[in-house]
Amino acid sequence: MNRILKMAMKDLKLLLRDKMGAFFIIGFPILMGLFFGLIMGNMGSTGGGGSQMRICIVDQDNSSLSQKFIESFQQNESVELKEMADLETARESVRKGQRVAMLVLTEGFGETAGVFWGEAPTIQIGADPSRAAESAMLQGFVMEAIGSLAGSRFQDQDLMNDFLEKSRQDLEDNESISVANRLLMKTFLGSVEGMVESIDALQTESDESSAAPGGEEGFQFANIEAIDVTRTIDPKSQRGQVMKMKSRWDVSFPQAMMWGVLACCAGFAISIAQERTQGTLTRLQVAPVSKFEIIGGKALACFISVIAVIALMTVLGIQLGMRPKNFPLLILAAVCVSFCFVGIMMVMSVLGKTEQSVNGAGWAINMVMAMLGGCMIPVMFMPQFMQSLSVVSPIRWAILSIEGAIWRDFSFTEMLLPCGILLAIGASGVAVGVQVLKRTT
Amino acid sequence: MIKAQDLRKNYGENVAVDGLSFQIAAGETFGLLGPNGAGKTTTISMLVGLLAPDSGTVEVGDASPGESDPTHPKVRTLIGIAPQSLSLYEDLTAKENLRFFGQLYGLSGGHLNERVTWALEFAELNDRKNDRVKTYSGGMKRRLNIAVALIHEPRILLLDEPTVGVDPQSRNHIFESIHRLQKQGMTILYTTHYMEEAQRLCDRVAIVDQGKLLALDSVSGLIANHGGTSVVKAELMGSADPQLVESLHGGSLEGSTVRFESDRPLEQVAELTSKGMQFSTLNIAQPDLESVFLALTGRSLRDG
Ligand SMILES: Nc1ncnc2c1ncn2[C@@H]1O[C@H](COP(=O)(O)OP(=O)(O)O)[C@@H](O)[C@H]1O
Ligand SMILES: [Mg+2]
Repeated sequence: MNRILKMAMKDLKLLLRDKMGAFFIIGFPILMGLFFGLIMGNMGSTGGGGSQMRICIVDQDNSSLSQKFIESFQQNESVELKEMADLETARESVRKGQRVAMLVLTEGFGETAGVFWGEAPTIQIGADPSRAAESAMLQGFVMEAIGSLAGSRFQDQDLMNDFLEKSRQDLEDNESISVANRLLMKTFLGSVEGMVESIDALQTESDESSAAPGGEEGFQFANIEAIDVTRTIDPKSQRGQVMKMKSRWDVSFPQAMMWGVLACCAGFAISIAQERTQGTLTRLQVAPVSKFEIIGGKALACFISVIAVIALMTVLGIQLGMRPKNFPLLILAAVCVSFCFVGIMMVMSVLGKTEQSVNGAGWAINMVMAMLGGCMIPVMFMPQFMQSLSVVSPIRWAILSIEGAIWRDFSFTEMLLPCGILLAIGASGVAVGVQVLKRTT
Repeated sequence: MIKAQDLRKNYGENVAVDGLSFQIAAGETFGLLGPNGAGKTTTISMLVGLLAPDSGTVEVGDASPGESDPTHPKVRTLIGIAPQSLSLYEDLTAKENLRFFGQLYGLSGGHLNERVTWALEFAELNDRKNDRVKTYSGGMKRRLNIAVALIHEPRILLLDEPTVGVDPQSRNHIFESIHRLQKQGMTILYTTHYMEEAQRLCDRVAIVDQGKLLALDSVSGLIANHGGTSVVKAELMGSADPQLVESLHGGSLEGSTVRFESDRPLEQVAELTSKGMQFSTLNIAQPDLESVFLALTGRSLRDG
């Protein structure tokens, strides 16, 4: 076990030192997550419904600081903020369910909220008692607004586009990128277009259907009573699913995680071939280390890095406003996804003898899994026949399990299906890998 | 320490090793000399259990027969191998490579640190120990490749063509290190296709070609039995008695150049001088392992 651990540590070290590998495992998924998140965000604000939390605020302090707070709060795109003149109107709107919660900046807010808020300023939150989850989220937003405006930097789409364009240029100039990886980039850029189109279509559709109320209290959008509305909307339908989303990152981050997971999977499969081509496998084999310890080290390193990718993306998502509903289930999902892709990695590693052949074959399989499984266009936005076809892709189940924990609000029983499938795929992969290993000296 | 008996290995139709048998004693430096493709690497792979022989047996170490299989963990710790193809993590530093492989052999803590320090000194890589291996020269990589083989203090060291692609300076460094190890009583198996190296370093040399053992003896024994005679070429000052030249073994006279073969060239030259011959230049070509190989195969080592 100690040797397995040492080998895993060595592999993780090597992984971090390989700039290209690290880009595909960390950089690329973050780009994907931000990019698709921005697209989703635009959809939400023009009528997806349910993705914005409607709250109201009463400013009794009326200081420049309290105004600043409100301004920065308004930048939070997960929140639709309305300023109200007096407590009574605000309370009424929460009671009627028009607003999820009310915030009150009491007199003296500006004073307690000193230059660096040495002592925490008092902010009253009056929330609809049936919306515990949202009020918890709201508290997070309040802290965020007080804390800083740093998050807004990520939401600058032009900045994002520039960054994307530059990375693409860098990639094209870099001759050491293999054909397979270049193809991957091209496919990605192509798929962005497809994604934008499919979301545009959904947007026009939902604009039409939500053009109802208006007038009173400035209702422009579907009422926040999303949970009630779902009774009339099939929760399995596209609209029904969209209603459950709480943040623009809800779809893009699980997707993005999968790119990182796929990159780990290919990366470690390649590294097994690399041990062979660079001769280090010889040394491992002549050392008092068994074949199973050698493969176990790779598997452990792959497992750890997949977990790390999921954790990193979760943390980043939370920074941006994603609010995972159920952390224990998210951990369960992460473990199942990791195990599944360790198995796939082991199968991938025996597909070729050299780094190039494993890289080529590995990414070919990855692309098919990604496309079918909803890494480019989310499964719920796919045409019906594609949705049925997607069940063959492990990625579909991986995304479903992670989304189940983050925003689909799955119960433990509901998690069993995707997690069970992931574990089964992982176990078969490990079995195949071990079998092949047994046959080779 | 090592006993190979009738080892055979085929790659499909191609016979790589064809019935090799030899024994290597503790503390001995044993050479496997043969051209490229002779089967040296394949033999080493079988000795360390990387390849299963098609037939034949390998015993390593001095334990009971049951525990002398090269794949036995106890036996593995006895052996250090520096493979012909470099076997290092290019993106790790020398120090990290040494530490990692040391850990695989169960080294840890202070002992591991000691061994790493020793190995870095051994390879003369102390000033580059924190640089990644991929920035090293060919010679530095070779030195590290050997040092990694020694990290766990093996009793047997297998060196597979350790001087290929190495600059003369590193080459000398490698020879000196081998001398140091020899003094410490290390058992060494050294494969090469350079006869000078075998001649310089090895106590006994096995000459192999096309997977077969052609001869096995000490260097002097091989030369005495297979090397033939020395060839003497000399330029005459003045004249010589043609009959005297004719009487020499293989003697000939062309213009002023005398040529003859001899088992004891210096003595014979002295005799000729005493008989009145005077030489302006003298060239004695002593037989070496090259001549042994030529005599055994009819081919030169270098042609492969
Ligand atoms: N993996 C292999 N597959 C097929 N043939 C091989 C393989 N390894 C070596 N050979 C063949 O076996 C013979 C001996 O090779 P090798 O042991 O590498 O010789 P040497 O180390 O003396 O140069 C050569 O003819 C070589 O082509
Ligand atoms: Mg060889």
